Amino acid sequence: MDNRQAQGTTLFTALLVLIGIGVVVQLWLLAASVDALMRHQQKIPLYAALGSAAVFVINGLLVLYVINFDRKIKQ
Amino acid sequence: MPEEKNKEQDECFECKKKKDARWRQDFPVEWESDNYVTRREMVKFLALGSLTIAGANAVLAGIPHIVKAAELPRTRVALASSIPVGGSKLFSYPTEEDPCILVRQANGDLVAYSQVCTHLSCAVVHDEKENALFCPCHHGYFTVDEGRPYAGPPTRPLPRIKLEQQGNEIFAIGVEA
Repeated sequence: MDNRQAQGTTLFTALLVLIGIGVVVQLWLLAASVDALMRHQQKIPLYAALGSAAVFVINGLLVLYVINFDRKIKQ
Repeated sequence: MPEEKNKEQDECFECKKKKDARWRQDFPVEWESDNYVTRREMVKFLALGSLTIAGANAVLAGIPHIVKAAELPRTRVALASSIPVGGSKLFSYPTEEDPCILVRQANGDLVAYSQVCTHLSCAVVHDEKENALFCPCHHGYFTVDEGRPYAGPPTRPLPRIKLEQQGNEIFAIGVEA
């Protein structure tokens, strides 16, 4: 494995962990939303949805970065 | 040591034999590698999961705006003059299966709450000495003016019943969460 590949592997693992943490945060927000809905609170699910969308955008950007990185390595 | 070496050689011979088998040449797919999940696949799966969860959160946020709460009935609860200061009266609202309690506070204001404790659904009662709503099951206490828990295991406030007074009559018109 050359240096570039090794760096790619490390980067990929780090991004995988970051995206995984993001998904766990989203699951927590989803649980908080359900809890708030049961209490008839309308604002909390809205804020949770905004937060979840933000986390999804970050996750999407990370995935795009990984795909681009992959392409560069293959070239 | 030489015995081990011989064993290794034998195994390799067996491996080679397997690899060279005719059926292997015809069907070169390895089940182990076929079921192997790569990190790239995992990242794609997580990204799709992230999208799904964000969508579910958006749906949850939209539910209260799409589904309007059903109109609750206007029910006569009691005569205002029949409840003295510090006194209470039990009633049911919005259905016969929803017990509630009406209390006249020291300042003369009337307040009503669901009688169902937010801890484990026991019925709360008015404790005049403590000026609180008391759950006898696990010794939970709620304030009379706001229905907020301040002692014992309950963590959520009691749902408040909206009241309306017309002359001497008191009506329940809705439930505040």
